Amino acid sequence: MRSHSVSLKMWALAAHAALIPLAILTLIPFVWLLTASLKSTDDFFSSMFLPAGDGPLGIAWGDLTLEHYNRLFFELGIGRALLNSVFLSSTTAVLATLACAAGGYALAHLRFAGRGLVTTLVLAALIIPPPLLLAPTYQLLYELGMLDSYTGLILPALAPAFGVFLFRQATLQSVPRELLEAARIDGCSEIGIFFGVVLPLVRPMVGAFILITFLATWNNFVWPQVVLQTAEKFPLSVAVSQLKGVYRQDYGLLMAGTVVSVLPPAALFMLLQKEFISGLTAGAVKG
Amino acid sequence: MRTALETLIRSLSPGAAIIIAFAIVSAVALVAWPIPSRPGLEMWIFSPEHRLLYAPALDDRRDHDEPNVNLRVIGIPALKRRMMSGFFAGLQTADLIEVERQMAGQAFTGPLESVGFVDLTDRLASEGLLDQINTPSFGPWSSRDRIFGLPHDVHPVLLAYRADIVEAAGIDLSTVKTWADFRRVMRPLMVDHDKDGKPDRYLLGLWETDGDRFETLLLQAGGGFFDADERLAMDTETNARVLAELISWCVGPDRIAADVPDFTAAGNKLKIDGYAIAYIMPDWMCNIWRLQLPQLAGKVKVMPLPAWEPGGRRTSVWGGTMVGIPKTSQRVDEAWELAKDLYFSDVIARELYTRNDIVTPIKTYWDDPMFDQPDEYFGGQAKGRLYVEQAPLIPARTSSPYAKLALDRFRDAAVAVAEWARKNGTFDASALVPRCRDELARAETAVRRQMERNVFLEGAE
Amino acid sequence: MSGRAREQGSFAAYMLAAPFLGVFLLFVVVPLARAGVLALMQTYGPQDSRFVMLRNFTSLVQDPLFWRAVGNTLVFTAASVFIQLPLALGLAMLLNRPGLRGRGAYRLIFFSPQLMGLVFVAMLASIIFEKRSGLLNQALHAAFGTSLDFPWLQTFVMPTLIITTLWMYVGFNMVYFLAALQNVDQTLVEAASIDGAGPWARFVNVTLPAIRPVASFVVLLSIIGSVQLFELPYVMLNATAGPANRGLTIVMYLYQSGFETGDLGYASAIGWVLALMLVGFAAIQLRLARSEAKA
Repeated sequence: MRSHSVSLKMWALAAHAALIPLAILTLIPFVWLLTASLKSTDDFFSSMFLPAGDGPLGIAWGDLTLEHYNRLFFELGIGRALLNSVFLSSTTAVLATLACAAGGYALAHLRFAGRGLVTTLVLAALIIPPPLLLAPTYQLLYELGMLDSYTGLILPALAPAFGVFLFRQATLQSVPRELLEAARIDGCSEIGIFFGVVLPLVRPMVGAFILITFLATWNNFVWPQVVLQTAEKFPLSVAVSQLKGVYRQDYGLLMAGTVVSVLPPAALFMLLQKEFISGLTAGAVKG
Repeated sequence: MRTALETLIRSLSPGAAIIIAFAIVSAVALVAWPIPSRPGLEMWIFSPEHRLLYAPALDDRRDHDEPNVNLRVIGIPALKRRMMSGFFAGLQTADLIEVERQMAGQAFTGPLESVGFVDLTDRLASEGLLDQINTPSFGPWSSRDRIFGLPHDVHPVLLAYRADIVEAAGIDLSTVKTWADFRRVMRPLMVDHDKDGKPDRYLLGLWETDGDRFETLLLQAGGGFFDADERLAMDTETNARVLAELISWCVGPDRIAADVPDFTAAGNKLKIDGYAIAYIMPDWMCNIWRLQLPQLAGKVKVMPLPAWEPGGRRTSVWGGTMVGIPKTSQRVDEAWELAKDLYFSDVIARELYTRNDIVTPIKTYWDDPMFDQPDEYFGGQAKGRLYVEQAPLIPARTSSPYAKLALDRFRDAAVAVAEWARKNGTFDASALVPRCRDELARAETAVRRQMERNVFLEGAE
Repeated sequence: MSGRAREQGSFAAYMLAAPFLGVFLLFVVVPLARAGVLALMQTYGPQDSRFVMLRNFTSLVQDPLFWRAVGNTLVFTAASVFIQLPLALGLAMLLNRPGLRGRGAYRLIFFSPQLMGLVFVAMLASIIFEKRSGLLNQALHAAFGTSLDFPWLQTFVMPTLIITTLWMYVGFNMVYFLAALQNVDQTLVEAASIDGAGPWARFVNVTLPAIRPVASFVVLLSIIGSVQLFELPYVMLNATAGPANRGLTIVMYLYQSGFETGDLGYASAIGWVLALMLVGFAAIQLRLARSEAKA
């Protein structure tokens, strides 16, 4: 018995010995990103992480600078891109969640002509790679006059087959038919039932889906790059990537832009870790 | 309904609640913060240096109550992306766009009537401006005999070198007439002081991935990707010979070239350290050095490029910029006036040189004494005169929309040959020639296939 | 009575389904149909177009760039499946030791790179992998004395992309595996152990069959994601495909054709090949899963 627990401890130690270096390795790029965004261009080249000096821990803390952040916000107007990102991501997330939840519920529980066909189409659409639709959708948006508009970016993102499929499964699983019947007998309208009965029952899926859609839209690059043309409408993904390639490569500036771009979703994640992970792995649990 | 709403709100997960709050707040903020509309002409440029260049002329316009001009500096990939997406979809872009040579071709790929720029040919002819500018300088900005832009420059190329290092070693470069001379005379500078088995310095800042420099040197030798009649001609004897020579400089234990990137802080540091001694130097690059490498003031000199054969051409051409007016501009006439203000004024021509080191394409300004001023940065040389002397001799270039593709494929060929050379230990230029022919033939086939695929250019040749 | 209720239900059903249905039809079904037509055309932007029938496809077959893109994409996909996923599984098994302290913290750390979008990872990586000033070359130089000029982004583009995605996705896939491993019946493992099965035998005979459904799902997800690689090389290589197109992927070629050259037709043709590849992978995966289930 004793030897068993000793060997368990040994195992744990060995596991930590492997895990700790890997964890450090994973975190180093983040640390480097943050320090690079706080260093002047000279210090960027003369030091790997923080500039050496006389301060505590042998680091010249006084040499750190916010100049890159200053330039980003006051010269390059990155605040606008930040706002655009928040707007596009949150609006898309909320609307897509509503559309998918309602659509999924309708496919699962309501009868209407063409339901079978739509269900088949949704299943088929699951395997369509989005790049296939890039060119025709662009042409369609051109004909609808929606290029270079928020609408042209948000609207096509509201009906992901994946989303409606998830909600169809979720409502099939967690919304009992009897409950719906009871609500109908009580005289609730169908819309009222959806908002008052169905949505609360699939609450975990709503929370998860809204968060992954937010994150996915925040990190989306191809669509805004293709659809938008006016710089003031760019989200961070496009605005920050376009900081590259100006004659003078300003590493600190690029890194500061990256920090500004990844901080909001990271903060959100730290706050809502559990909800997020269940959302990101949502597809796997059904297996 | 009310109770349903309450149930719903109470049943929102924290994440959902936060995102909904984001949506509401950001929507309100966007409404409260509309995109500012800026009166005046919008002009996109890719060079931060041009902002300074145009400042005096723009101040002058402001004093005369002419329309305000909003200059925007945009990185090249982004500018290209936004210009082309505007052209394709007929969206508003700017009233004037400065276009770098590499991205101009794409605007000419489609039907002539779909070129996104206003055709300037008739305006230029009727206002008698065609004669003032070197006719070949319009080449890169013309398609199917129509001119779509005003040239900004000539961009002759010289060789810049670290005079401090060369002179300290007692090397006399005046005897260098050809690239063979260059290699022979400069070779003693490649020493290994720190004993790491590699020279501390290389002779030339050049790398096989560096398509622009390779093309420059190809043009110098009389090669190129298109012949005088604009027909594709990549797989030629001259091209193969030059490519083989260039690759031999970049590979093997005896290589003389090193990869020193431009416009990056890392590359700048290498230049300051003297990692490579000589550089291919178009006039515009002088200014980049002056601004980004102040540490090298007085340590650099220029000389005509070594020729490929005795008596050969001692210059080439690299880069180029035009200004064009997008068809979607609402104020084409005002934009045209501004373009002329910026490109034809003697003040700007002078500024162009004194501020940006660039030789104007307007021939009448070429005898200006400013070109004879000694330049402190370049060791007191009358650097301007050296460039102007070579300006009429620059090789002609193509306007083909496939120039960029040809350059890309050529670069692939260069990289492939270099890889092959390293793998097989073949470092001698003449031994690399057959391999170069193979790769160039492959590149040419690829470009030709693309050209033949384009149904919009059919009948254009 | 029942007829009326059904009618009401039906009207409400349309109301609820309408937003999804409308958008789905307009922005999925219609573009899909148009992708079919576009693939038979050559265009210059969305305005100029001409029918060229099957010429896009015959050109694709002969297009060395396209094959380069396919080759690069397959290399990357293979690396994702055969390097990234085993590492993720290994990491998950390390974390799955009973009584391991700090599991939550480890999981959070390994997962965290996934939060950064591909574009932002690309921004960071493009500087980390830079010659001379890049963190990686500096660290390798300090530790092993390797060259500061190691040309990650010039010559070793695919390895660079693979390393970057290892950082980004190993933790992500680990979360799936960890969830699956925690559902493995420990009594079975112990029983096997008592029967004298070694660690490898226990892994192959007990653990692997138990996590197979999740594993095959992760493999499929990983293939689908890898085949569509675009943003990472595009941003890392400064909106190009890199020297000698070493970073050219299928979707990047689609993007270049459609939005740089303006040929939406060629882009659509590439899109169809991509779709076909994915359907093929999914079919193979399905067949494998089925035959394994039978065995």
